[in-house]
Amino acid sequence: MKILVIEDDKTAGPYIVEGLREEGHSVDLLANGQDGLIQATVGAYDVMVVDRMLPGLDGVSLVKTLRGAKNRTPVLLLTALGGVDDRIEGLDAGADDYLVKPFAFGELKARIAALGRRPQMAEEPTALRARDLEMNLLTRKVTRGGTSIDLLPREFALLEHLLRRKGRVQTRTMLLEAVWDIHFDPQTNVVETHVSRLRGKVDKPFDRDLIETVRGAGYRIDAE
Amino acid sequence: MTPGLPGNPLRSTPLRLTLILIAIFTVSSLAIFSFSFLAVRQDFDDALRESVTQALASYQAIDEEEELRERLAAEVAAIPAEMTVLRFVPDAGASVGNVDGLPDIDVLRVLSEGEIAAGTRALSDSYLAIGGWVAGGHLVVAQTREQVVEMGELFLTVFLVGFLPTLAMASAAGLAVARRARDRVEAIRGTLAELTSGDLTARVPDVTDAADDLEQIGRAVNGMARAQATSTASLRQISADIAHDLKTPIQRVAIQLERLESRTYLTADQKGTVEAARAECDRIVRTFQSLLQIAQLEGGAVRDRFTPTDLRAVVSGVVDIYGPDAEASGHDLRLDVVGAGPFDVNGDRQLLGQVLANLIENGLRHVPLGGRIVVTLAREGPRAALVVADDGPGIPAEERDLVLRRLYRLERSRTTDGSGLGLSLVAAIAGLHDATLSLGDAAPGLIVRLAFPAAGAGSKE
Repeated sequence: MKILVIEDDKTAGPYIVEGLREEGHSVDLLANGQDGLIQATVGAYDVMVVDRMLPGLDGVSLVKTLRGAKNRTPVLLLTALGGVDDRIEGLDAGADDYLVKPFAFGELKARIAALGRRPQMAEEPTALRARDLEMNLLTRKVTRGGTSIDLLPREFALLEHLLRRKGRVQTRTMLLEAVWDIHFDPQTNVVETHVSRLRGKVDKPFDRDLIETVRGAGYRIDAE
Repeated sequence: MTPGLPGNPLRSTPLRLTLILIAIFTVSSLAIFSFSFLAVRQDFDDALRESVTQALASYQAIDEEEELRERLAAEVAAIPAEMTVLRFVPDAGASVGNVDGLPDIDVLRVLSEGEIAAGTRALSDSYLAIGGWVAGGHLVVAQTREQVVEMGELFLTVFLVGFLPTLAMASAAGLAVARRARDRVEAIRGTLAELTSGDLTARVPDVTDAADDLEQIGRAVNGMARAQATSTASLRQISADIAHDLKTPIQRVAIQLERLESRTYLTADQKGTVEAARAECDRIVRTFQSLLQIAQLEGGAVRDRFTPTDLRAVVSGVVDIYGPDAEASGHDLRLDVVGAGPFDVNGDRQLLGQVLANLIENGLRHVPLGGRIVVTLAREGPRAALVVADDGPGIPAEERDLVLRRLYRLERSRTTDGSGLGLSLVAAIAGLHDATLSLGDAAPGLIVRLAFPAAGAGSKE
């Protein structure tokens, strides 16, 4: 992917760039809001990572200007502030996701991946599949290799979320936000517990595990 | 509002002073008035007494009864009974006088109209009379006290047309001024009460540039409130700035640790150390995050985004996410929804969730293994009440206010995990939602109660 990082911090900027390049992305780094805005409009990027506080032009205004100019490049806003207000303000301005500093690199990577390959909304599927597992979204039945699996509503939602993002890592925070609608940072193991219960039903009775743990990042259902 | 203060007007200093002044004015006026009336009447009475006594003496000076009779006849003919009553009762023969009958009179006394037999002749209401022996009989001379009576009436008239309207006017003006002063004092008192309760936007209304003392006090109170609001705001800003500025270096430390972990071959021991450092970093970040959030919440701007929120959905969601943790730590976490609701409150669902998350985390942290944490949602009239009760060690009564302060931790909790900000965040979020927060004794344990105002009741301005 072609990624533009606009971050003025001299440690965080190069670190993000380095990490993303190692992932095989093509990355440009700018430290000034105004320069970043110009680069964003001419560069045709797949994803932008924008710090909220920037010299020249702040991140929120940058995103607003960009959206005003009909530029739809997905934007991940980075911020040292993490209040409800900041998050909503960032999303209202047109950012697609919001990450509070400091973050683990795995979290950033997972979120950039999610933004770069947003689900195609063209057609709502009636069933989701991963290898021999099938989830029927109409009857809400889950089978693996012909064996029916009973899931609790929350487990179903968790599996559905992972299946829809097959091949992409979902972090604990992303799952908390998507499946539980929790946008603060609770000290709870609810994600781990539910993933483990889900594994008990979906993976344990079968030969190959579908749900993969990505160390230091999160969970993923392998594409193939 | 202080009980009974606006109710009893006598508690108001300006009103009380005015009433005291009116009373002093009334009493002194009446005293002066009565004194002058009595003095003038005394003069009149003295003069009259002299005149009557002299008149009698002049008759007594006549030696011959015949001469006396002639003189009396002339006077009776000349002077009407209304002015002077004369009656001579001789030892023998017909009596002379301008009245038909009088009581026996020897010494000076007041004689009223009713005591006099005068037929159809006009009389005064009151006379001063004296009687004495004269040549050939007994003579009573009585002179009218009409002047004295008239003077009394005159005084009464002067009193009525002069004093009473003055008193009425003074009272009305005094009371109006006093009421205005009382209202100003009341406004200043109310403003001070609001300021004390933490609303730093409160100001004494309608302060003018007038030089009088109450306006000056009003201006001084407003000035003080402005200064306090400014310093509180800058204090808030400073703590937010510090937290914000420190997050960047912490981010760098976190990055370096992550780099160390992923780029270098580490022994298990070294890995453990790096892990511990990262966990410590996370803790610092959470503390700063909470400090920043509290500062932002106290700013109050989030309130603009409030929407009617179903507290039941929020509460059951949050209890749900802590279920596995409670199970793992051997706590009995229960949700008890009383009644059918509705449990709508005007608020932010993430913040409301965070309130309960903090309270449950608090419980899981402090309640010993096997303990109970019961979350209750109930309606209390129009209000929705969220109650979290546990059977843990509780909080001593004298420390319940302190734990709501930032970074305050109970002595015995110093060794446990937690930032000391959980309950102050709860207090900040409760305040933002106009919810009443109270900490109590669950005997044993802690009971935290949050009573939310009914949705749609509007937030206070």
